[in-house]
Amino acid sequence: MSSVSPYQDLIACLHCDNLCKYQHLSPGQKAICPNCGSVLLYRKVNSIERTLAIALAGLLFFIPAITMPLVGISVAGQYSDASLLACISILIDDGFPVSATLLFMFTLIVPFIKLSAAGYLSISLKYNKVTPNLLMFFRSYKVLDNWAMLHVFFLGVVVSLYKLLSLAQVSIGIGLVSFALLLLCTTLISVTMDEHFIWQTMEDKLVR
Amino acid sequence: MYVSAKSIGLGICPCCKKINNMWSDKEQCERCGATFSIRKPYTLQYTLAWTLAALIMFIPANMLPMMVVYTMGNDTRSTIMEGVTIFMQSGMYPVAFVIFIASFVIPVGKILCLLILVTQARSAKPKNLKLMTKLYSIVEVLGPWSMLDVFVVAIMAAVVNLGFISSVEAAGGITFFGLTVIFTMFASASFDVRLLWDKTDNNFE
Repeated sequence: MSSVSPYQDLIACLHCDNLCKYQHLSPGQKAICPNCGSVLLYRKVNSIERTLAIALAGLLFFIPAITMPLVGISVAGQYSDASLLACISILIDDGFPVSATLLFMFTLIVPFIKLSAAGYLSISLKYNKVTPNLLMFFRSYKVLDNWAMLHVFFLGVVVSLYKLLSLAQVSIGIGLVSFALLLLCTTLISVTMDEHFIWQTMEDKLVR
Repeated sequence: MYVSAKSIGLGICPCCKKINNMWSDKEQCERCGATFSIRKPYTLQYTLAWTLAALIMFIPANMLPMMVVYTMGNDTRSTIMEGVTIFMQSGMYPVAFVIFIASFVIPVGKILCLLILVTQARSAKPKNLKLMTKLYSIVEVLGPWSMLDVFVVAIMAAVVNLGFISSVEAAGGITFFGLTVIFTMFASASFDVRLLWDKTDNNFE
């Protein structure tokens, strides 16, 4: 565990397993696999501060995004609207627990874990409090990477807006605005977070 | 020149991308603590199994209605393709196009791509390696978008709730459709593209 391995200066491509020499990158530079052309590494600018700011903003938008109404319609004087939580509860009431679980996981739980893990990681790294449990947080962040579907849900809202326009008068709620901002934050996090840099920092502080 | 990490006994951690010495088949990453194998174990079996499961689920997903619309006491049930044709008839081509792509082209394309990748990985001399690697990256990225139709039905069912005038209820198709999407995502997650490159015997390209 503590011995410094002689492979410190090597890096392998995740797509073709090609071994390359590790080059130290300064912020803003990219390394590309000479064999298959995938991006090996990309060192980002001001990554920790930006990630922290965006994660906190995202967590602020989270509660209005799930509890406030997304879309409302009115026909002949009657009005009805629904929030994200209402979508989930209606699926349970209609007898579709599987779909309700999928919706719950992909639009609530996964984004929430990702946002809070990103926020916790950047706070700890910024104030130099690196503990072994951070590894677990970052691992869970990586595992959930492909399973957040806020963007798909947002497109779903847009498509339903189109559908509803032919039925009734449609109004957009505060929930939809917060949801759009939440989506923006989760997308920006994957843009600003520099995974290799974080792993490298944690390794330097923990292993040696 | 192409030297694979596997050929000199090294493995790359899928979680943090650290190079580890592979003393055995399965190692714990010395940096992040994740357990991993040098290649994903039983990758072809798992991929094929999930893909076939997705294919089977795709049949009821297209046969059963996705939602039921009640207007003034009448109910209309529509499957995915019927939903698309309704949009075409009412002239909303962009929406019809988006739904068609997300709920038909992407799942079918994903299943086909995975089957092609598996057969290529099984063959003695895989061809078009760069193209296949690209194909796999695309399959991985496009995965979640097929959930679109399930989400649309959920929103419609929750919002359109005006009693007798008009209301929407979800129907059986969405469960199977959701499962199709999940299964294809599991399939692409269990596939290992590096198997294709392993067959090149570390030759010069």
